[in-house]
Amino acid sequence: MRLASIVLLISVTAVYLFLLLPIVIVVLASFNAAEYLSFPPTGLSFRWYAAFLSSPSFTGAFFLSIIVGLVAAAAATLIGTPAAIFYVRFLDRRREEFRLAMLAPMLLPEVLTAIALLFFFNQVFIGTQTLLPLILGHIVITLPFVFLTVSSALYNLPAAVEEAARTLGASAWKAFRRVTFPLIKSGIVTGAMLAFIMSFDNVNISLLLKAIGTSTLPIQLFDYLRYDFDPTAAAASTISVGLTMLIVLAIDRIYGLRAVRF
Amino acid sequence: MTEASEIRMRQWLFAAPALLLVGLFVLIPYINIGIMSFRTPSTTAPYGPGFTIANYIHILSDSLYLSLLAETLLFATTTTAVCLVLAFPVAFHLARTTSRWRGLLYAGVLSPLLTGVVIRCFGWIVLLANNGLVNQALGTLGIGPFQLMYNATGVTIALVHVFLPLMILPLMNAIQSIDPHLEEAARTLGASRTRVFQRIVLPLILPGLQSGVILVFVLAASAYVIPMLLGGGRVQTLPTVMVQQLMGGLLWPFGAALALVLSFAVLASVWAFALLGRKRMRRLA
Repeated sequence: MRLASIVLLISVTAVYLFLLLPIVIVVLASFNAAEYLSFPPTGLSFRWYAAFLSSPSFTGAFFLSIIVGLVAAAAATLIGTPAAIFYVRFLDRRREEFRLAMLAPMLLPEVLTAIALLFFFNQVFIGTQTLLPLILGHIVITLPFVFLTVSSALYNLPAAVEEAARTLGASAWKAFRRVTFPLIKSGIVTGAMLAFIMSFDNVNISLLLKAIGTSTLPIQLFDYLRYDFDPTAAAASTISVGLTMLIVLAIDRIYGLRAVRF
Repeated sequence: MTEASEIRMRQWLFAAPALLLVGLFVLIPYINIGIMSFRTPSTTAPYGPGFTIANYIHILSDSLYLSLLAETLLFATTTTAVCLVLAFPVAFHLARTTSRWRGLLYAGVLSPLLTGVVIRCFGWIVLLANNGLVNQALGTLGIGPFQLMYNATGVTIALVHVFLPLMILPLMNAIQSIDPHLEEAARTLGASRTRVFQRIVLPLILPGLQSGVILVFVLAASAYVIPMLLGGGRVQTLPTVMVQQLMGGLLWPFGAALALVLSFAVLASVWAFALLGRKRMRRLA
């Protein structure tokens, strides 16, 4: 018995090390003073952050990622929230089909969705000269995260609360605005933040749908890492990881990380 | 219009934007891929006029593409198996622990999932390169250096790393929903630990296990970034070849057919696995 729990503890620790080590390494590498990525670090330095800031291709990609992430998250939230309300409160038949349709972009392989959208946009729509295909693609793949989070927030809120407001004379809209919305607001905000993270980290959709001559931060990193491993990429990665961690902390504060469903 | 149907109409308005989005940008493009795969190739445009099944015949009769398919499915199978082995102890621990670090441990599983794939691959490049951290550490022990990257080993390690949380989370949820008293009762009634696991725990977590396995398998089989970065061009899978062909040349019909062959093979594998699971569940029940 004791031996078994020691073995369990060791294997659990080993798996956590395996999960976190590569990310920790990238963060450490970004502060390394040496010319090449080497360990142990030769000294503490912010020179790669300076290199990141003075590289227009990196900073441009970073800002494009932020903009696309914000637009996609806002749109996915505006579209996904009413869909979740519909699913939880109104829909009584074909529920599983509706849920699968909403989650499809998350369940289908992203590369395939990206290829499908590439053909589609080039054939019947607008081509990939503008940012529109990229943003539409990001809205599609972030929608499931808003839908999942808002539905679970609604499930945690009994329908009786809304009914009580209605019985007391509130109109449907007023009951939603004054009772339901404030109670699921943190769920909606969490869904929006998850959508932002998923858009901010996305590679597959961006790679195929980006307008020629532009790139998001993950694409810039992807191109960079295929030819060069200099620590500027580590600085860019660390900034990205830092931003994600801040958002995760915010989610934990306002909603609770454990309530997040995948 | 009756009042009831008017209310229904208004309710459907809630879902309309989302259904429109999924219909227009998921359903139709996927149908379109299917049609595209039967188009004729062209040298001047993305595809030619008329329809043909030549694309499929080309793929299924060319040993290059068949071996690429086999290799892709092998990567996915290995990744799924290793993920399953590594996920079990963590999922068990996370589901049952009463430690006050539990929130942090959960974040430890979740945060890799929320970190970009490219960044995680970058971490592995730093670790696994010929003069990387792992080889340096082994060097001080007088072993190595080993070629850990730009081959199947590196690709598999990164695949496991990227998809492991997606195995841990459903397993953890399944284990969490088992009442620990069930196991205790079985133990009290004289069942051995292995027997309790086989007869009580395993049947109850099988649905969670199944969804984890399917998720990891599908994602690993369609991974593009990981084989590109850790394979460094020396490891090819069907997705990497597919994307290169589509981005490089004007081979849309052929690329579409490749995509469909891959999807079909993945679906067939998943279906076979689900069938196997159901049989096993029935036997245990």
